[in-house]
Amino acid sequence: MMAEATPPVPEPGENMGKPLPRYEARAKVTGEPLYADDLQLPNPAIALFVTSGIARGRILQIDTAAADALPGVLKIYTHLNAPRREVTKHYTEGGYVSDSAVPLGGPDIVNDGQIVAVVVAEDFATARDAAHRIAIRYEERSPSATFGSAGAATIQPDALAAKSKKAGDFAGAYAAAPVKIDAEYSTPTMHHNPIELFSTAAAWNGERLTVHEPSQFVWQLKNGVASALGIDPENVEVRDPFVGGAFGSKGMMTQRSPLIAAIARDLRRPIRNVVLRDQGFTLATYRAETRHRLQLGATRDGKLTALSHEGWEVTSRQDDYSVAGIEATTEMYACPNIASKVSLVKADRNTPGFMRSPPETPYMYALEAAMDEMAAALAMDPVEFRRINDTKVSPVTGAPYTSRSLMECYDRAAATFGWNRRKAEPMATREGDWLIGYGCATACYPTSMMAATARAILTPSGRVEIQIAAHDVGTGAYTAMQQIAARELGVDPRMVSVRMGDTAYPPGPVAGGSMTTASAGSAVKLVCDKLKQRLGGALPSGRELEQAFDRLGTRRIEEYAEWTPPGQGKEAVQALYKGQMGGGGGAEGGKPKPLMYAFGAEFAEVRIHRLTREIRVPRLTGAFAGGHIVNPRTARSQYLGGMIWGLGQALLEQTELDELRGRYINDNLAEYLVAVNADVPEVDIIMVPEVDSQVNPLGVKGIGELANVGTAAAIANAVYNATGKRIRDLPVTMDKLLDVPA
Amino acid sequence: MTQNTSLPISRRGFIGGGAVAISAAGLNARAEAAPASAVDQNAPHRANVRFTLNGRSRELTADTRLTLLDALRGPLALPGTKKGCDHGQCGACTVHIDGSRHLACFTLVAGLEGREVTTIEGLAEGDKLHPMQQAFIDNDAFQCGYCTPGQIMSAVACVKEGHARTDTEIREYMSGNICRCSAYPNIVAAVKQARGKI
Ligand code: FES
Ligand code: FES
Repeated sequence: MMAEATPPVPEPGENMGKPLPRYEARAKVTGEPLYADDLQLPNPAIALFVTSGIARGRILQIDTAAADALPGVLKIYTHLNAPRREVTKHYTEGGYVSDSAVPLGGPDIVNDGQIVAVVVAEDFATARDAAHRIAIRYEERSPSATFGSAGAATIQPDALAAKSKKAGDFAGAYAAAPVKIDAEYSTPTMHHNPIELFSTAAAWNGERLTVHEPSQFVWQLKNGVASALGIDPENVEVRDPFVGGAFGSKGMMTQRSPLIAAIARDLRRPIRNVVLRDQGFTLATYRAETRHRLQLGATRDGKLTALSHEGWEVTSRQDDYSVAGIEATTEMYACPNIASKVSLVKADRNTPGFMRSPPETPYMYALEAAMDEMAAALAMDPVEFRRINDTKVSPVTGAPYTSRSLMECYDRAAATFGWNRRKAEPMATREGDWLIGYGCATACYPTSMMAATARAILTPSGRVEIQIAAHDVGTGAYTAMQQIAARELGVDPRMVSVRMGDTAYPPGPVAGGSMTTASAGSAVKLVCDKLKQRLGGALPSGRELEQAFDRLGTRRIEEYAEWTPPGQGKEAVQALYKGQMGGGGGAEGGKPKPLMYAFGAEFAEVRIHRLTREIRVPRLTGAFAGGHIVNPRTARSQYLGGMIWGLGQALLEQTELDELRGRYINDNLAEYLVAVNADVPEVDIIMVPEVDSQVNPLGVKGIGELANVGTAAAIANAVYNATGKRIRDLPVTMDKLLDVPA
Repeated sequence: MTQNTSLPISRRGFIGGGAVAISAAGLNARAEAAPASAVDQNAPHRANVRFTLNGRSRELTADTRLTLLDALRGPLALPGTKKGCDHGQCGACTVHIDGSRHLACFTLVAGLEGREVTTIEGLAEGDKLHPMQQAFIDNDAFQCGYCTPGQIMSAVACVKEGHARTDTEIREYMSGNICRCSAYPNIVAAVKQARGKI
C-alpha cells in the first residue's frame, strides 16, 4: 500500500529533474545570516509600534511624557508629529500598498491594531518599556466587525460583477433537476503567520536608502517606498536574500515600510523595526472570512446539469479586495448550466490580501464539500461521481485545458490510500472507541506567469552566476534556478551560483501565484541560451572555454534577458521595473486561453473518538500533476507542506473575532492553532508524471499553492463518512460534533 | 504592544517595582502611564554577567530587561537564533543552556552567570556538520529555514533526553517547535537518521 508514496528524497519519475538538496541547505542548518533582520546595519536605533486597542473611533489625547522621560528613548512619533508621506493607492488600483489607510495620518481609528505611535529607543527593552508608559484616551464608536454586523454594507463592485461566470440556463435546469443539493458553507478569518516576523530596517546614506525587509517582491517594495516618500526609485535598494516563510503576507508593501524609512530620515540614524507577533495580525493582510451558497442539480445517473456558486467575502472600508474563486469552481466539472456571483461585505477591518491559494482555498472547499453531498445523495462513489463529470474543456467558454490529469491523480491516490476499503454508509467503520471515515476532494491551481528578467555572468573558470531578483520563500527557488541554468548550459550544477532577493539584480516576478519557477525559470533559460549563443551555440569546457574567452578578449561574459509570457508585450517588462504586476499573471491578471491548471486528488482518513469527539487524521494521501517537475525533492516538500496546511484549515485554524469590539481575540501562536508535529502522523505524496508543452517553454505549472486546496474538503467529507454529520463551517472542531450519537 | 482603552488604575503603578519578568508579561495589559515619580522606581538597571557562549567566555554589562534572544540578535551578533513570537510559543529561539534546551526569548541575560550557552552557530565542529544538521539536509527537513535553528537545537536535545525512541515520541517532543512551512514528517525522518549518531 505504501509502495507508491515518496520518501523525503524521491526517485524522479518521468519528466522530472534531479532531487538535488537545496542550494542553501548548509547555510540554513548552520544559522548563517540569510534573512532580512539578520542583516546588520551600523548602530541602529530600535523602533517599536504601539497599536490601537479599539477598532473604531478617534484619539482624544495621547500622553507620551512618562515614556519620553525614560533614559534611552530617542523620540516618540504620533499622528501629531509623524513624518509626512505621499498617499499611495492600493496595488489593485495602480498603487503599491496593501491597505490604503495611512498610519499616523490623523486621530481617527479605522480598525483594530492600527499604528497609533512609534517609539524609537536605543534598544528593544527600552522601547518596550516606554511603549507601556504611553497613555491614550479614545472616543470609541461601535465597529462593524464582519458578516451580519450592523452597518456592514454588502456591495458588488463592477470589477467583481464582471467576473461572474454564466452558461446556459441555470434556474431552469436547477428547477428541473431530479437530484438537488442546496447548501451553505463558511470559512473563517485566517492569518499567514510565517515564523519569520514582519520587519523593516532602513538606513540612509545621503540621498540613498537601503531597506532590509522580508519581501516576496523586492522591486515592488523599492518602487513603493520611493513613491510614498516622493523620491526617485533609483535611490532605493532593497535586500532580502531569503524569506522566512510568507504565504502571501509579504507580497505587497504595507504602510510600515515608508513609515520606518521616513523615521530613519528624520532621525538621521538607521532604524530597525520588528513587528510583534500580535501586531502582525493587523499590520499585514489576512485571509478574510467567506460564505458560500452552492446549488447543484444532477441526473440520477450522476451527470451535473446545474451549478451555482454564490460567494461573500469581507473587506475593509477603504479597499475592495476580493479573491472571487468562482473562476475555478465554475470551470472544474462538465455542466451545461452555470451561474455565479461574488459580493463584498465592507467592515471596519484592515484590508485583507492574498494567502496561499487565495481564491481556491475557500471556494474549492465549498464546491468539493457540495460535490461530496451530491455523491451521497446519488448513492454514488465520490471518485466515480467526479469521473462522470470530468471535462477536458471549460464548461463556460469551451476553451480546452492544455492538460488535465485529474482522474490519473484520483486513481493513483485511491490505490495507495486503499479507498476500496471505504464503506459508503456513514458510521459503518469502527475500531474500538474510534469512528473511522474516509473522504476525498479535488485540488487545483491555475498556472499563471509574469514577465521576468535575468542576468548571467560567465568567467573563464566555467563558473556561472545567475542574477535575478526573484524570491525564495522556502519553495526551493534558488535550487530550481540553479538546476534550470545547469541543464540549459550543460554544466554541473555546482558550477552555477544564484543571486536573488535583492534589487541590485534585474527584476523577477512576485513570489506569488505559484509563478516563480515558470516565470523566473523561463528568464533564466533564455539568458543561458543567449550566453550559449555568444559562444557558438554551446558552452565549451576546460581549456577550450579559456581559449574562447581569449578570442573574445575578455575575462567575463555577461548576458541579460527579458522574458514575457505569451500574449504579453514589452509593457509587461516596463511594469515589472516599476514593481507592478501589470499585464502579468497572478490572481488579478487576465487569464490566458486555453485553460492552464495543475491538478491533484487528496484522500483523508479521520478518526473521531466516540466519547470525547477528539478528531485525529492518521493518514493523508495526495497525488499531484504539475507538468515538468524541476526538483522532485523540493516539489514533494511543497506538496507535503500544502497538505498539512490543509489539515490545519480543516481542523485548527481560525482567527477569532470579538464581534462587539471588532478585535481579534487569539492573536498569538498559542491560541491561533496551526498544525504541530504531533498533529501530523502520515502523509503520502505521489507525483504523477505529466507533460504539458503548451504552458511555457519549460513545461512547468505552478505547484506551491496546489496541495492546500482540497484538503479541508477531503477531511470534512471524511468526518461525514465517520459520523453522518456535515460540518459546513470550518474548522471542524469537537464542539460541532457533540450531537453525534455515541 | 497594544494600547487599550485607559483604565483608572495604572497596572505598572499597581505592581510597583515588580520583577522584570512580570512587567514583560504585562505587554498587552490595559496600561496607563505611571505617575512621574514611578519612573525612577522603574528605571533601568544593568548587571555584569560572565558566561560561556559557543565555547568562548563572554562578559557583558547587560540591561536587566535584556533577553538572551535580543542579545544574540543584537549586540552579540549571532542572528542564527530566531525570533518567531518572543512569547515562548514557537520554539524558533531554542538554544542549549548547560546542555538542555531553553527558549532564549524567555531567558534573561542577567541570569546567565556561570552558565554555558550553545546556539546553532556553535553546533558544528569547524567544517564538520553535527549529525543532526546533516540529517536535516538529507531529509529536506525545512523549507524557508526560519524555524530550523530552533528545530535542530530541539532535535539534538530531544535525542539526548531519550525522547526519540519512536515516531510518536519524536512528534510529541518536537511539538514545541512550530514549522509553518510544515516540514514535520521530514523533521521526524531527520531525527531518526541522526539519533544513533549523537
Ligand atoms: S521566539 Fe521564543 S518561543 Fe518563539
Ligand atoms: S521551514 Fe519554514 S517555518 Fe519551518
